Amino acid sequence: MNKDEPVHFFNDNTVIFDIQRFSLHDGPGIRTTVFFKGCPLSCAWCQNPESQNVRPELIFYKESCIQCFDCRKHCPENAISDHSMLRFDPKRCTLCGQCVTQCLTNSLRMIGKKWSAADLLGEIYKDIDFFIDSGGGITLSGGEPLLQANFLFQWLPMVKEKKIHTTLETCGLANWMQIEKLLPWIDIVFYDLKHMNDSIHKKFTGCGNAGILENFSRLSRSKSGLQARMPVIPGINNSVENIQATANFLKSNHHFSIHLLPYHNLGEAKLKRMYSQQHPMNIAPQNSEQLKQTQELFEKEKIHAVLYD
Amino acid sequence: MLFYTTDHLGRPVAEKKNLSRIFRLKEAVQKANPGICTDRSDIWTSYHKIPDNRKKSPHIRIAEALREVLMYKKIHIYPDELIVGNYSSKRVGGSIFPELHGVPVLLDIFKFSKRKVNPLQVSGKETWKLLKIIPFWSFRFLALKAYRSPFQLIRLLIHQLKGHFYIINESGGISHIAPDYAKLITVGTDGIVAEATRFQEKSGKDTEKWYFYEAVKIIANALAKFGDRYADLAQKMAESESDSNRKQELLEIAQICRNIPRKGASSFQEAVQSLFFAQIAINLESLDNSVCPGRMDQYLYPFYLKDIQHHKLTRDKAKEILSAFSIKTSEIIPVFSEYLTKIHGGMFNGQVVTVGGLQPDGTDGTNDLTYIFLEIMDELRMRQPNYHARISNHSPQKYMDQINQMLSGGSNSPALYNDTVIVDTMVQHGYSIEDARDYTGVGCVEPVAQGKSFSSTDAALVNVPLILELALNQGKRFGSWFRSGAKSMPVEKMQSMDDMKTAFEVQLADQLSRLMKDLQAIEIANRKYHPTPLSSCLLDGCLESGTCSTAGGARYNFSGIQCVAPADTGDSLYAIEKSVFIDKKITLPALVEQLIQNLSDKQLRSYLKGIEKFGNDHSDADKWTVYVINKFTDELNRYQNTRGGRYVTGLYSVTLHEYYGRITGALPNGRKMGESFSSGISPSNGMDRLGPTALINSINRIDFTKTANGINFNLKFDSRTLRGSTGKLALKNLLSTYFRKGGMQAQVNVLDPAILLAAKENPDLYPNLLVRVSGYSAYFNDLSLEMKDEIIRRSSLTN
Ligand code: SF4
Ligand code: SF4
Repeated sequence: MNKDEPVHFFNDNTVIFDIQRFSLHDGPGIRTTVFFKGCPLSCAWCQNPESQNVRPELIFYKESCIQCFDCRKHCPENAISDHSMLRFDPKRCTLCGQCVTQCLTNSLRMIGKKWSAADLLGEIYKDIDFFIDSGGGITLSGGEPLLQANFLFQWLPMVKEKKIHTTLETCGLANWMQIEKLLPWIDIVFYDLKHMNDSIHKKFTGCGNAGILENFSRLSRSKSGLQARMPVIPGINNSVENIQATANFLKSNHHFSIHLLPYHNLGEAKLKRMYSQQHPMNIAPQNSEQLKQTQELFEKEKIHAVLYD
Repeated sequence: MLFYTTDHLGRPVAEKKNLSRIFRLKEAVQKANPGICTDRSDIWTSYHKIPDNRKKSPHIRIAEALREVLMYKKIHIYPDELIVGNYSSKRVGGSIFPELHGVPVLLDIFKFSKRKVNPLQVSGKETWKLLKIIPFWSFRFLALKAYRSPFQLIRLLIHQLKGHFYIINESGGISHIAPDYAKLITVGTDGIVAEATRFQEKSGKDTEKWYFYEAVKIIANALAKFGDRYADLAQKMAESESDSNRKQELLEIAQICRNIPRKGASSFQEAVQSLFFAQIAINLESLDNSVCPGRMDQYLYPFYLKDIQHHKLTRDKAKEILSAFSIKTSEIIPVFSEYLTKIHGGMFNGQVVTVGGLQPDGTDGTNDLTYIFLEIMDELRMRQPNYHARISNHSPQKYMDQINQMLSGGSNSPALYNDTVIVDTMVQHGYSIEDARDYTGVGCVEPVAQGKSFSSTDAALVNVPLILELALNQGKRFGSWFRSGAKSMPVEKMQSMDDMKTAFEVQLADQLSRLMKDLQAIEIANRKYHPTPLSSCLLDGCLESGTCSTAGGARYNFSGIQCVAPADTGDSLYAIEKSVFIDKKITLPALVEQLIQNLSDKQLRSYLKGIEKFGNDHSDADKWTVYVINKFTDELNRYQNTRGGRYVTGLYSVTLHEYYGRITGALPNGRKMGESFSSGISPSNGMDRLGPTALINSINRIDFTKTANGINFNLKFDSRTLRGSTGKLALKNLLSTYFRKGGMQAQVNVLDPAILLAAKENPDLYPNLLVRVSGYSAYFNDLSLEMKDEIIRRSSLTN
């Protein structure tokens, strides 16, 4: 896909940046997680920064680059740079992928690949036996899967026809009509609540939280398999105040549990490898003591909090 | 006082106090420096130096020589011991079998204590004793007797000393049996003597059969006397023992050893002691490798039940006795030359104990002893025995849960065996359904019927990628003028994969026919010069037929031939198909030229490495590994061994994949000269990139009912993946799908931090090491240095 080509929200194909089999923590049983590319938010702590842009992207692993410059010989746009941190010039690069096939050390990689509905179905179907025995299935993750709702309208009925369990991980920022239309095909929704304060939410994610909270409320009225989640970002959303606000919001929606996802800084290591406007936050990951505290604060508010590993 | 032991990561663990005797025994064995014992070789040599002895029937000669060993070898009873009997004069030691593979081993005499891998203690006096026997055996050991033609002999010596195409383990003796210990503990040696006498009376004097029965009588009586020696020793030690408890124990031991193995066992402890005496003696008879107690939880259960019912035994006491037995099995090590150590690393003795699984009538056999054994293997975690657990559709949930708990907690015992597939495979190969259901593993992974099979399961191992090399060069090794294979089509003329396949099949047929000639000469030599009357009297069929097991007397007779590195070979064939015939990136002659140049063209090598490999659920790539295995099996099916049984394919490689890799040139899959092959049926090194579900789907494309000699499938995880209830459940589900879809065997390994540290130091070592980061997995090499440290730190923590 050329980067200047306008992005269509295809009906019968989509951009996926990773498919991970044997996923264990995104729903019941043994699962295959499909990572869709593209997200309406741009959280400062994003752990998959390569998922934000809906287009394929080139990334560079400087650790393994041996500076042989074989990539340069084959770049039609003369986009290979000497810069030790980023081997290509994003302004010139057309994402033709030539350098990726030339690099012996696999230091240049293309993130994101187009998949047709049929191929993607075939791919996830490979683990059907494991899904059956473990009560597992697939998890739609990202990025934001709902950004590709037009694809999902067509694809999810095909998945459901094979009796595969489906989980959706979402940031909640989407058109309610679309969400509603997809609900019959989704068994569980993991719904991220990042911050209760609208302006802080906007500051760190690029968008306010009004639409997200509204969608959550609507979902909680119409969906049984809804589960709130919160990425715990030290110093940003683990204050007593925000936890209380979150708890109150949940209770007002008759929702009494939350899953806590600990922050880690792997995303920052990835950030250095790509062309991104984002800057590392330089937050140290919290220790288990701090996480327990957050958990206890929720429990005190009568919200059952499950800590992820 | 608290006794400390260590867990699988070497951390000290406080043990329960009531088991302290067991931990003292374990510590004594683990602290002992392994050494060489000269008793067997000395006594064997003195017996054979008498010319009259050498003229005796081989049955009688072996029985008498072994009798002398049992009568005159040094015996010990160590402090705290409940189960007594020493394999060798050292606490942990091995014997030399000069009449078998002894001379090549003896030539290493000055290296034993100095070598880096598995050094063995040997004193100056012992060295001298060993040196003295070399001249006598130099022209008398088995392989020399096997080959009368000098040409074949030279080829054998070259092969055995520098095996390239195949290695014949059988030239060192056969062994690899699961004796009928149920019979021994029921009727005792007296019962066996009586049975042999009955049969002997019906056969004419001085016939082969008569001598065989005579030999059985000699050795059965000698085994009883071996017990007497321990009875005398225990009695004597009791007299001078000041501790009254120990004195009482020694007196009991004396009484037990007076009764068994001569008579049938009258208690649980007697049963265990009786079979351990036989275990020692059989290890001294021929090769001390893979003499397997087998299904102990099944045949000991009646004795356990009876003692429990009569309040003569408690569960704890039974556990203590079995623990003591378990530790005992680690007191023996094989003595290998430095060269053989490279082939079979790790001082592996292959004494298998199998638990759980079906009974001959098809019902589940899990019992109290099964659970006791599970506890023992988790608590002891020692080198031997090699613990196997059988899984069937009827295995109880509690049993499955306990195994799951152990494996996800980092114990790499037990290895798991799928009854459904294995019983089916054995029936397809001629076993009765009842005998098949009574299978146990021997050696590494090879299924046999307990007490009924004489299967030389580790007869030979074949370097299959080297056969492909011959197919690419008209039967010559790269860079050689000398033709080591058959003449096949030159690559310049090959027009399609069919031509390539034909050339491969021609070379495969040629190498296997050479192997068969060499191997069958060894089979005949074993029968002629090294019959095994003791093993035979504990194998069903031998006494009835009056025929030694080495001559085909046992009920079932197979020989296992290992197909080493099928994935490297299959991936290479696929790489040829893809690069030459589909993508047309390179011509076949140009590719071969590059292989001769050790893939010096980096671009090409990287392209070849990037072609799909076995182990990633890619049907086009996987079908070639399946092809290699099926062709190998078809070819073996054309032969029959000299004991009247079939040759069967095994998919395990011990550590030989490493050795064969070192001596084999570059391959079309992108592997350079000298790099290791993959072990067993694992994908070629680190080439499974899509996790365990994809790997299992690939593995299950192989029809395991055709690989009757067993497979070795390692499932590796980093410790975080299997943590907590989610991890345990995932492992359980993963294995149940694997088995439901036709998997045969699996061994679960949890990567310890040492591997992660090594991968950090040297990223090339583990190119595709998958680790759990946080709810998802990542390639270790893709992580930043700090992240790597973080993962290493976290993987060192327990739950
Ligand atoms: S080809 Fe790869 S290794 Fe060579 S300079 Fe380019 S990015 Fe680095
Ligand atoms: S993808 Fe690589 S080769 Fe293509 S334009 Fe960008 S830098 Fe150049």
